[in-house]
Parts: sequence; structure tokens; C-alpha cells
Amino acid sequence: MNNRIRVCRAEKDWTQAQLAALIGVSRQAIVAVENGKYEPALPLAFKIARAFDKNIEEVFLWNGTNNE
Amino acid sequence: MTEIQSDRLQPTCLAPTGSSSTILIALLAAAVDIGASLMLRYLDLGTISRIAVALLPVPANLGLIVKIVRSVRGLDDFQKRVHLEAVVIAFLATALAVLTYGFLEKADAVGPMNMVVVAGFMGVFYALGYHIAARHYR
Repeated sequence: MNNRIRVCRAEKDWTQAQLAALIGVSRQAIVAVENGKYEPALPLAFKIARAFDKNIEEVFLWNGTNNE
Repeated sequence: MTEIQSDRLQPTCLAPTGSSSTILIALLAAAVDIGASLMLRYLDLGTISRIAVALLPVPANLGLIVKIVRSVRGLDDFQKRVHLEAVVIAFLATALAVLTYGFLEKADAVGPMNMVVVAGFMGVFYALGYHIAARHYR
């Protein structure tokens, strides 16, 4: 699974720490998700997408494989 | 940061809460542990009293366990995963260390094991496991 979190953050001019604080998780979680090292559960994926005012499919892109 | 999502997304838990009280309880538990250990070593107590002193650390340590479990419940899913991997590594590495020490003991290569050493192994392997897990997801 790929994601566009880095791009979305750049659009909003948010740091990883700001995004983490907004959705209530650790910065390490955002780093791991953004780098594709950790695939989030649905609630976190929805929270991230909603933080960017986007649908989940606009942020997370299923490519048929697990990265972890 | 903008406030556009403030009505929809409220920060829930940013970090485990009450870490200072956890440290306080840990210090209290350690003090009781050391106190009980010293009393058993240096005081001339009867059997019942010795048993009572030996069980003295249990409430404080139980309190510490409850506090730590509550802290873990306050972590986000990612942090829980990292801690889980650290615990798995610590458990297995400690088991291996104790097994190896047991064989060395049977071979008369080392003296009897002090149980405090096992706790030390667990602590060291947990720290190592946490480092490995955190690094894996970086």
C-alpha cells in the first residue's frame, strides 16, 4: 500500500508533529505510516484522510501488496 | 497550524499520561523491595514475620503493574506494536539466556543463578528489543 501523506502535508504546510498532534497519535506513528513501514488500521487511516479533508482513497493507494 | 478540522478531529492521546506518577510508584515499589530484602537479611525474625516481610513488596509491585498496563492502554496502535515486539524479543532472549545459564550451571562452569539477574536480563533485552523494533519502523 502506498500513501500520499508527504504530498498532502506539503500542501497544508504541516510538519509530521503537527499532523500527529491533530489526530492524536505519536509522531513516530506518522513517520512509520508515511514511510510505508507501518500500515495503519482503518480508524487511523480515516483520521489521517479526514485531517487533509480528503477521502481515504485519495491518501492511501492500494497496490495489491503489503509493504510491512 | 490551521483550525479547519478542530470541530471534527480532537487530539485524543498524545503520550501516555501520568508518567511521573508511574515513576513515583516504581520508586516506591523499589524502596519496598530493597527494604524487605534488607529486613530479611539483617533482622532476626520469626517464621511468620519473615513470610509477612517477604510478601510486603507485593502490593506496591501490583500497583506498578496496574499503572504500567494503564499506560500501555493509552498508547496508540503503532506504539503498542513497537512495545509488543520489544516484549517478544525480551521474553525470548531472556528464556534463551536462562536456558544457556542453566546448562552452564549443570556443566559446573558457573555458580547458582541469582533471580535478580533474570530481572536484569529482562530489562536489558527489553531496551534492546525496543531499540530494534523502533529502528525497524523508522
